[in-house]
Amino acid sequence: MDKQLSDVILSVEHVSKTFPGVKALDDVSLQVGRGVVHGIVGENGAGKSTLMKILSGVYTKDAGTVVFDGQTIEKTTPMESLRRGLSIIYQEFSLIPSMTVGENIFLGRFKEAGGMRGTHQKAKELLEQIGSSIHTHSRVSELSTSEKQMVEIAKALSFRSKLIIMDEPSSSLTEEELAKLGDIINQMRSEGISILYISHKLDEIFEYCDFVTVMRDGHVIDTRPASELDRKEMVGMMVGRTIENEYPERPRVVGTPLMKVEHLTTNKLKDISFTLNRGEILGFVGLVGAGRTEIVRAIYGADKVKRKEIRIGGETAKITSPRDGKKYGMAFVPEDRKQQGLVLPFSVESNISMASLKKLKKGVFLSPDKERKMADGRISGLLIKTPSPTSAIVNLSGGNQQKCIIGRWLETEPKILIMDEPTRGIDVGAKYEIYMLMKKVVEAGGSIILISSELPEVLNMSNRVLTIADGRITGEFDPEKVSAQEIMNRAIG
Amino acid sequence: MDAKTHIGYFVKNNLVLVTIMILTTATALIEPKFLTVANLGNLMNQFGPLSFVALGMTLAIIGGFIDLSVAGIVSLCAVFTISMIDVLGQGGALIAGLMAGAAMGLLNAFIVVSCGALTQAKALFITYGLSAVYSAAALLYTDGATQHMSHLTSRTDLFRAVGSGRAGFIPASFLLFIVIMALLHIFLVRTQTGREICLTGANITAADLSGIPVKRRITLVFVLSGMLSAFGAIVLFSRITTASPLLGANYETNAILAVVVGGTSLAGGRGSVVRTMLGVMLVILLSNCLNLLGVSTYLQSVCKGAVLIIAIWLDRRRAK
Amino acid sequence: MSVVTKMVKEIEKRKALTAILLMLFMMLFFDTRFYTAYNLLDMLNSAAILAMLAFGVTIVIICGGCDFSIGSMMSLAGIITIKLMDHMPLGIAIAAAVACGALVGFINGFLVVKQKTEPFIITLGMGMLLKGIAQQITDAHPVPAKNLSYMKIANGKLLFGIPNLIIIMVVMLLLFYYILRYTSFGRNCYAVGGDYNVASQSGIRAEKIKWSAFVICGAMAAFCGVLLSSKLNTGSSIYGDSTALSVNCGCVVGGTSFAGGVGGIPQSFIGLLAIQVLENCMNMLGINAYVQQVCEGVIILLILWFDNYTQKRKEEAV
Repeated sequence: MDKQLSDVILSVEHVSKTFPGVKALDDVSLQVGRGVVHGIVGENGAGKSTLMKILSGVYTKDAGTVVFDGQTIEKTTPMESLRRGLSIIYQEFSLIPSMTVGENIFLGRFKEAGGMRGTHQKAKELLEQIGSSIHTHSRVSELSTSEKQMVEIAKALSFRSKLIIMDEPSSSLTEEELAKLGDIINQMRSEGISILYISHKLDEIFEYCDFVTVMRDGHVIDTRPASELDRKEMVGMMVGRTIENEYPERPRVVGTPLMKVEHLTTNKLKDISFTLNRGEILGFVGLVGAGRTEIVRAIYGADKVKRKEIRIGGETAKITSPRDGKKYGMAFVPEDRKQQGLVLPFSVESNISMASLKKLKKGVFLSPDKERKMADGRISGLLIKTPSPTSAIVNLSGGNQQKCIIGRWLETEPKILIMDEPTRGIDVGAKYEIYMLMKKVVEAGGSIILISSELPEVLNMSNRVLTIADGRITGEFDPEKVSAQEIMNRAIG
Repeated sequence: MDAKTHIGYFVKNNLVLVTIMILTTATALIEPKFLTVANLGNLMNQFGPLSFVALGMTLAIIGGFIDLSVAGIVSLCAVFTISMIDVLGQGGALIAGLMAGAAMGLLNAFIVVSCGALTQAKALFITYGLSAVYSAAALLYTDGATQHMSHLTSRTDLFRAVGSGRAGFIPASFLLFIVIMALLHIFLVRTQTGREICLTGANITAADLSGIPVKRRITLVFVLSGMLSAFGAIVLFSRITTASPLLGANYETNAILAVVVGGTSLAGGRGSVVRTMLGVMLVILLSNCLNLLGVSTYLQSVCKGAVLIIAIWLDRRRAK
Repeated sequence: MSVVTKMVKEIEKRKALTAILLMLFMMLFFDTRFYTAYNLLDMLNSAAILAMLAFGVTIVIICGGCDFSIGSMMSLAGIITIKLMDHMPLGIAIAAAVACGALVGFINGFLVVKQKTEPFIITLGMGMLLKGIAQQITDAHPVPAKNLSYMKIANGKLLFGIPNLIIIMVVMLLLFYYILRYTSFGRNCYAVGGDYNVASQSGIRAEKIKWSAFVICGAMAAFCGVLLSSKLNTGSSIYGDSTALSVNCGCVVGGTSFAGGVGGIPQSFIGLLAIQVLENCMNMLGINAYVQQVCEGVIILLILWFDNYTQKRKEEAV
């Protein structure tokens, strides 16, 4: 780092962390000064949350050193870090909804806080300290998101934290609430508390942070004072270069409109309308939680909606369950492979055949021969590596499991293939094979909706890209004509 | 692999068979008459009411649920069917009894599905509550009195044949059990609906997202379980020629015992009715063995409770 | 919010209390012996043991579990006390019975917390096992207590002519209320039931808390068994056959949810009282015992249905 900080509260040196198949953090170094607001930016999957979890003690690092407040920290637990003065406020709050505000602040420290009276009294003082008037006897389940955040901050302060890490603190806050959060951050800074501010929202980073670290693919790209950076440069560092030959050439023949979605509205989605054409790959770009998955689930009939109008090939389609979705020629490769896609204790062949059992019928019975033939066909066609069609699917690698799910849906000859994070946790070789499969599908006249957190993937595979932020479609782009920066800019909102 | 690990592997994977062999040998040693043809008939005869209820329970467990209402269904169906014999004749009563079981299963499914208790744990409470309702209804229906087949004016030979008839030395109820078990086995393994039930039991979310009508499959599972319990009830009262409104007490735990001991996993999706047959056999042999040893019926129920807990525990450890 | 919707919400929250008041009001119009001091006291007296059972169960449910072995535990504990009474001082016999209950709770806790088995099915199996033991000891016959002073524990009136049972119940109510409300253990129970992971990440020893809950519940069930056998001066293996369901569900009636983390001792008490008042009303109105059972079953079912349905609605909110 070119600029030396005089008083360092947290110093991370050469930290690495590998998960099976993925190098989540690669030689990451970072220093946070006392009383400094330090921003960390990066795309989904850049390694921010892994770093955070190592600091808090949820994960253990593979290599490197972490020094907090002069102490070298090897192994730790979330509770130990808290007591040491390092608090983390996660995006998903660690609060117990059925309990009161006061008790949540002193969770597990009932005696320390001095019983029920002490708990509420001290909680009230802490909340007043950050200018919040939340009643300490209210239940957390009755609070708004911003109020819950105040409770989390009060909880962090109750440990006399020296460093507070905030993960996406601004998501789902209103303008007003955001301003209040800004005040609190400034107040904490003036009291000498350091803040590690993790966010996608660049405006806030520029507004609050003294320093900014940009991460990408598990690396620290650079750390600089916020005043020396501009927005464009930062987005450039986040997105990075794309390596062209990771992707097959995208098919160019796009046909006539196939599906029209209009006025799709739920609690989270606000009046979504778009069209999908025949032979097209339509990419959805947005941050985690922007509403991408919710849109496709609603279209497919997996979630209830307030309002939606879908027309497929000119006909009005009434879709209220995944079964209806399937009837209209849709196929859905879900985001959470293990929970929503695979039937883990079952064999490869029954996982492949489960969406098209009808095709296996011979009279009233299922024909094992037909099933074996179907599975064999997909195994050789999709290059699925498995000891045999009867092996349990749980023993396959992530990429091969995903190919089985895709194979399951190809059997139904879908017109619309919805793929939610189809290459998550899959190695590079298998990724390319999945891209080739997608290409084949559209060349055969099918259409694909592709959701991915990997920007290069969406940009290189899609014919058209929709950006989604806060449950709205914020833009439509031709990825060949518009730069990644511009699209990212719009997706950030 | 040397011989020792080989044997260990076999034992581990065929725990039920090994236990059955051990129990058979032990019983034969204590009681040499055990291995005679006459006793074989007796043994088959013990594949009575419980085995049918256990078949229904197997379906429920494979479908991802545990149907605790079977105790109530057995009680209510028994007293209902017996009371219908004079009204509808024996053929009509038999059908009415099975229909009543199916209707109760349908009610179970309706309640479970309508309040969204689609996990095993949630549905447990509901079916247990339903069992209490059915049991109370049985008491109400008979005013607490035991019904006797001998008090009826109509012919009851059909029921008597089902309950205690024999073809040669093979009891009719055993033949029926084998036939129903075979049909269910084919249904689960070889038909689309059967496969869909297994998939729903193993991962209801994935099955739903793959377009399988999960709610209908759950309903079917409960209906079949109800019908098989009704059939168990019919075999039961036909055999003892009386039906008390408390007839079904403890049937749920015994049925679960047979299913889990047989090796069908409580996790859902995996298992088979053939395994349940082995489970029932094990339970019967265990009772036989304990009887021969002169263990009281009460201590036997202690043993069964202990075996149930241990079997669930082992099932859970295997799942981990 | 209009006054009406506010009222509806309040009623929904306190449905057990509303039900009790409704029944009390209804009984004004019937000419029965309901409103006699004798009946009201008797009603409270018979609710006492069930309520105390519910206190133990409440802790377990708040921790996110349930216990269906309490019925058999209760009958077994009574039998143990009566059998041991002849050979040792009464106090020690009672202590031994309660210790047995704690041991059973310990085993339940081990299987549920450490082995992660489904509490419902495990405790149901445990109940079957305990009942077998009770039958074995007594040969399924009721055993009378020979020691007359034993009877006095539950049937005596130590203070101002109030039955001892009611006094014991009030003491227990206050004790359990205090534990759940004002001790660190009690508050941690709510945390563990509310969100197991958040609780353990906050440094709460979640396993230990939940496990202890089962032990307390088992010991409490045994203690109630002692009181019951003292009240009836007999121990029998048939006591408590349907107790488990009505007590567990009584807690839910009061507002303790099987989802865990919600509820409390006063709520469970009100819930159990509601069931007791209902039974008493039906008795007074001369309703057939079997009709009563059906009614009780249907009501329990409705409550379970609502408990699940509200959860589903919360999860599915569009």
